[in-house]
Amino acid sequence: MDTPASRSVYVAPSLMAALDALDEGGAETAPFAGGTWIMRAPIRHEPLKSRYVAIGKIPELHAIKVEADVVEVGAAVTHAALAVALTELPEFDVLTAAASRSANPAIRGMATIGGNLATTAFAAADCVPALLCLDAEVEIASRNGRERTGLEQFLTMRSTLAPGRLLQRIIVPRRGRKTVHARLPLRQAGDYPTAIVCLAVSLDDVGDVQTARVAVGSVEPVARRWERLEATLVGHPLNAAWAAEAAAGLADEFTGRDSVEVPGWYRVRVLPGLVRRAIAALGS
Amino acid sequence: MGLSLTVNGDHLTSTADPITPLVDVLREEFYLTGAKPVCREGFCGACMVLVNGNPTPSCLVPVALAQGHDICTVEGLAANGGLNPMQAALEACDAVQCGMCFPGMVVSLTHLLATRPEATRDDIRAALTGNICRCTGYERIIEAALLALATK
Ligand SMILES: Cc1cc2nc3c(=O)[nH]c(=O)nc-3n(C[C@H](O)[C@H](O)[C@H](O)COP(=O)(O)OP(=O)(O)OC[C@H]3O[C@@H](n4cnc5c(N)ncnc54)[C@H](O)[C@@H]3O)c2cc1C
Ligand code: FES
Ligand code: FES
Repeated sequence: MDTPASRSVYVAPSLMAALDALDEGGAETAPFAGGTWIMRAPIRHEPLKSRYVAIGKIPELHAIKVEADVVEVGAAVTHAALAVALTELPEFDVLTAAASRSANPAIRGMATIGGNLATTAFAAADCVPALLCLDAEVEIASRNGRERTGLEQFLTMRSTLAPGRLLQRIIVPRRGRKTVHARLPLRQAGDYPTAIVCLAVSLDDVGDVQTARVAVGSVEPVARRWERLEATLVGHPLNAAWAAEAAAGLADEFTGRDSVEVPGWYRVRVLPGLVRRAIAALGS
Repeated sequence: MGLSLTVNGDHLTSTADPITPLVDVLREEFYLTGAKPVCREGFCGACMVLVNGNPTPSCLVPVALAQGHDICTVEGLAANGGLNPMQAALEACDAVQCGMCFPGMVVSLTHLLATRPEATRDDIRAALTGNICRCTGYERIIEAALLALATK
């Protein structure tokens, strides 16, 4: 128990109180959501902040709103709560799977969707590619108001997000697409994924792909779309073997990240297999 | 001013830094040494306790945020020094090897027994995803869980 006594944890009773505390605290203050990343800072040899603003008691950050054209998810919704809320909405299968198969049951009950998106150094986040292929947007709150931005844009700016900002909501359009999440952990469960492939497609009347979104996570430091594969899939029927072959031809655009558990080349090598698995899961 | 905690029904006060992991306070201030800090990462489950009835790795909970919640450690699971049905089944199945993982296993499985009486072998496996047994004694642990469920 060798932490300095100067640290503090403030439990914010409302969104406004949290934004005020974050603003006043400046760079030495950060939001504390599920804590499943923050509490491991000593293991990563990273310093803790001197002040945390706990956001778990703010009611609007726990809200999940299902509207006709959009689903809005508060940033402090846990993986477990998200998976339960989306079970009956097949167009979000990709997100339900991401939220219900990551980590282990106890962690899923603590870790939040906002924390998953906001953690810059975490390459293996399951919900990030899932939300990328769903064309999600995020709303960022500060004392001065709200701003809305696409998730892709947010991923490029999250590490330089000014102090005082809080990811408030995730907004996901409803487009009735078929979606799927394929991940490869080293063990059957409980591990970080070596690679993740997420897919969202719409089909025309004859069953050809009309629109496609493919997002890849855990391979590079930040998840991103695989636009060349998306373009290849459009205009063709869903065919798992054919798509895997196309993916193998296009996989050289990825530079896999090395880590103690997996070398970078392996993360790239498994991508065609995950594409095959994803498309097969859509019934082709 | 100290932090007020409710552990196994007792009202206790901690003077630790607010961000200190709950497991350290349980062990070093309250001498409840069942929960063990092994990985300190949320992977192994050796530090599992119940927070408001839910299995929670106490290495990831800052003590300040444990205030106002009902914490139950392995020491608080059975009354009067006896064994609860899950512990009794683990003993009957001779499931304990080195014992390192057991406080966490008992916490997770006691919760399973209480909340999912219809749990199957696969459900038990899934529930134990966050409890690692370094002695790899999983099969007997799962048999014990099935026995406890069957005799409930
Ligand atoms: C054992 C284990 C296994 C795991 N396996 C997986 C896995 O397989 N897949 C996966 O995706 N994840 C996995 N995780 C990671 C987990 O999902 C992340 O740690 C988690 O999503 C972070 O969320 P949190 O709420 O705990 O964030 P915290 O730890 O509270 O915060 C993380 C960071 O995000 C910031 N932050 C949090 N909320 C906000 C907000 N609303 N606005 C702005 N900044 C914010 C914090 O300031 C901090 O910098 C695992 C974690 C553990 C412990
Ligand atoms: S020590 Fe907490 S999960 Fe391993
Ligand atoms: S009995 Fe030894 S770690 Fe499980």
